[in-house]
Order: sequence, then structure tokens, then C-alpha cells
Amino acid sequence: MKSFQYLAPIPAFDYVAPRTTSELFEILGGRGKELQLIAGGTDLTIALKERLVTPQIVVDLGRLRKELGGISVEGGILRIGALATFSEIESSPYVARCSNCLRQAAANVGTLQIRSIATLGGNLATASPAADSAPPLIALGATVTLLSRSGKRTLPVQGVFTGPKRNGIRQGEIISCVEIPANEVRSAWTRAAVRNENALSTVSVAVASTISGRRFGPSRVALGAVAPTPILAEKASAAMTGSEATPEQAARVAALAAEDAKPISDIRASEHYRKRLVSVLTRRLILQILSESMMP
Amino acid sequence: MKVKFRLNGETRTDEIEPNQTLCDYLHDAAGTTSVKKGCDTGECGACTVLLDDMPVTSCLVLAPQIDGREVVTAEGLGSKSSPHPVQREFVEQDAVQCGYCIPGMIVTLSWIQGHAPGASDAEIKRLMSGNLCRCTGYLQQIEALKAASKTP
Repeated sequence: MKSFQYLAPIPAFDYVAPRTTSELFEILGGRGKELQLIAGGTDLTIALKERLVTPQIVVDLGRLRKELGGISVEGGILRIGALATFSEIESSPYVARCSNCLRQAAANVGTLQIRSIATLGGNLATASPAADSAPPLIALGATVTLLSRSGKRTLPVQGVFTGPKRNGIRQGEIISCVEIPANEVRSAWTRAAVRNENALSTVSVAVASTISGRRFGPSRVALGAVAPTPILAEKASAAMTGSEATPEQAARVAALAAEDAKPISDIRASEHYRKRLVSVLTRRLILQILSESMMP
Repeated sequence: MKVKFRLNGETRTDEIEPNQTLCDYLHDAAGTTSVKKGCDTGECGACTVLLDDMPVTSCLVLAPQIDGREVVTAEGLGSKSSPHPVQREFVEQDAVQCGYCIPGMIVTLSWIQGHAPGASDAEIKRLMSGNLCRCTGYLQQIEALKAASKTP
């Protein structure tokens, strides 16, 4: 039982808080599996209490906020540092302007207390299939920049998620930032959960599109908690792109999104119910984008 | 390890074992017993404190994470002789029953008062959803927040 372990102290570990990334890479180079990074810590502290991880050394990234934090727009790219918190994302005017679906998702993560400290980089690294930041980022075509001693590489957000709680970040690498094309795109996010606040998503959906001349431009539908990782709904996205911007088409795209979903039945919902939710929520979001595009 | 931080306005340098949460450290070692351990999993909010002026559940923070930072607990918001407006109104509006959630609730509501003045009822409820009150005194607590905002 978990609760017994909560009574005992967390097993001892060493704690270091590097002040520069070169100091950080020095530490990462010298150690293997027994090392855990801590950003906000809202996932790691629970994993420590439940003995899901028993590191010998915990490396605190908190002193690297200048290098790995912040939100800015430069050269048509919205850059969100890995250590940006969900509160910072929720209240950023840059995010509100070009990444509405991400702002909506950030405002719904956990509770005020969790959003105050939990980071975007941490949410991606934990790689939960239900990570609420992932569908918006996938819908917006975001990329993740990974930094190591030898340089950097860039992955699409889907590339960071390799399985439930498994990420594609190599040893010696850290997430440095997320980059989003700062386009005039319409986007929206919603989810279903057992309650409105502080609950894991049963299903989450993000849609990003442009509408001109009564047609959808390049469009992406992304889904969370309906597969081992957050996914791009490929059939739905392809069918939406370039199609007629009508309520009938919204229903067709939504039905395809349900086909793209590969959910399991678990404690939160059945496979059947999740597929139904994907269809309902996707249709709702597309209709919302349609009606917003008609406003003057 | 040595950790230097500010607690309720006072600069401290303490020897802190890293394998403990900020909640346990504040309650058991630092003497700020307003910080209550409820669920120990970030669900209930009884351990809420301000970290660099943002509410956090201190059970989800490792104690050494506060190095170089500022922590404020309910003790730091006001005193018996000079209570914070939210503390004063919790008494005036009968917003306290068993008391266990109250310090964390007051920390969160004082933050809402300062950072989201004039928030709608729906927004107040969204922002305070991380603080559970098993006596369900929410309505009185929201009234206390509104009264505190009227006469700060």
C-alpha cells in the first residue's frame, strides 16, 4: 500500500543545484540512471514518496531559470523556456495572441498551486499520455529543442513521447525550450474529466486551423489520453485541411478523429466512451472555431 | 546542506536534509505550524504557502528548492493584533469550522485578493479549487474574501 510509504521518510539522496548549463552538463556526464532532474517537482516529489524512483542524486534546475525559462517572440517564433510555469504560460500575452489552445490547457492544469510551480518542460519529460500541454503543442506544430554538451537537436513534440511515462530524451540531454510558429491561427482546446478542477483528463482535444474563403487552411487535430502517447489525429487533420468550412464537415472530421483515437479502458473511462468523447469534443471545438471566424 | 532563504520576512540560513518536503520542514523544523499536512499529494491545499509570491502546495516542493527564495506562511500574513484583512474577515464572517484547511485557504485567498481583485465568483472558485474544506465552509470563505477586498 502506498500510504504506508508516505509515513516513512524519503530515502536519502544528494542534492545539487548547478548555476550554469555547463556545470549542469558536467554533472549529467558523470552519472547514469541513478540521477533525477527536478524542475517544479510536482511529479517528482510524489514519485519519490511512492518509491517509483530512488535516485542517488537529485539535480535541481531551479537556478537555471534565466537560461531555461521565459517566454518571448522573435522572428515569428514563440519560444517558451522549459522552466516556464503553467501560471506564466496562462498569463502570457504572447501565448494568448498566437496559441489560444495552449493558454486554455495551461489554465486547466492541476490547481493554482500546481500551475505556480509545475513547468512545461517537466510536463513533457514526465511523458504522461494525459499530459495536458501536449495536444495543444502538437496541434500548433510545436518543436522541442533538446540541449546537450555536444549541441542541440530538435524534435516534434510527438517525438518526445515514446510510450506511457517514457520519453525520447537521451542521457546527457535536457529540454531547453519549446518553439511554436507565431502564426495567425485559430485554435481551441477542451477536455473531459471526472471533475472540472484538479483531475487527470479522461480525453483532451486541441484543434488549430485557419479559415479563408470558406475553407479550412492547414489544420491539425491532436488528442490526449486516448493512446500510449498524445497523438496527431492524422486522418482527421488530413480531411480537415483544405475542406469546406461547414458544420457538416466538422461532424465528418470529428468522426475521423474518433477513428484515429486508440484508447484503452481504464479506471477513468471505457474505450467506447473515450472514442465517443473524442468525436463530441472535436466537433464542438471545430464549431467554436467556425463561429469565431464569422465574428467581425 | 546549507539553505539560505527568507521565511516570513526573516533571512535564515538553515541546515536542511534534502530528502524532505517543504511542508515537513516548515511544520516540524522551522516552527511554522500553520502549515498543515493533509493529503501529502498536492490535492487538498492544507499545506499551501507562498513561494516567491505564488501559492504552492509545500508537500510537492522539496525543502532545498527554497534556496535563495522567499517563503510566506499564514503566520507571515498577519498577527493576532494586526491580522491580514482575509484573516480578519474569516473571523467576522464565521468562515472557520474545524480549522484544518484554514491556514492554507487564507494563504490562497490572500493571494487572490492581491492578484485577482474583482474576480467573478466563477474565477474565485477556479482559483481556490486547490484548497479543500471538508466542513464545506466555502460560501462563508468566499464572502470573507469579498469583505476583505471591500475594506482592506
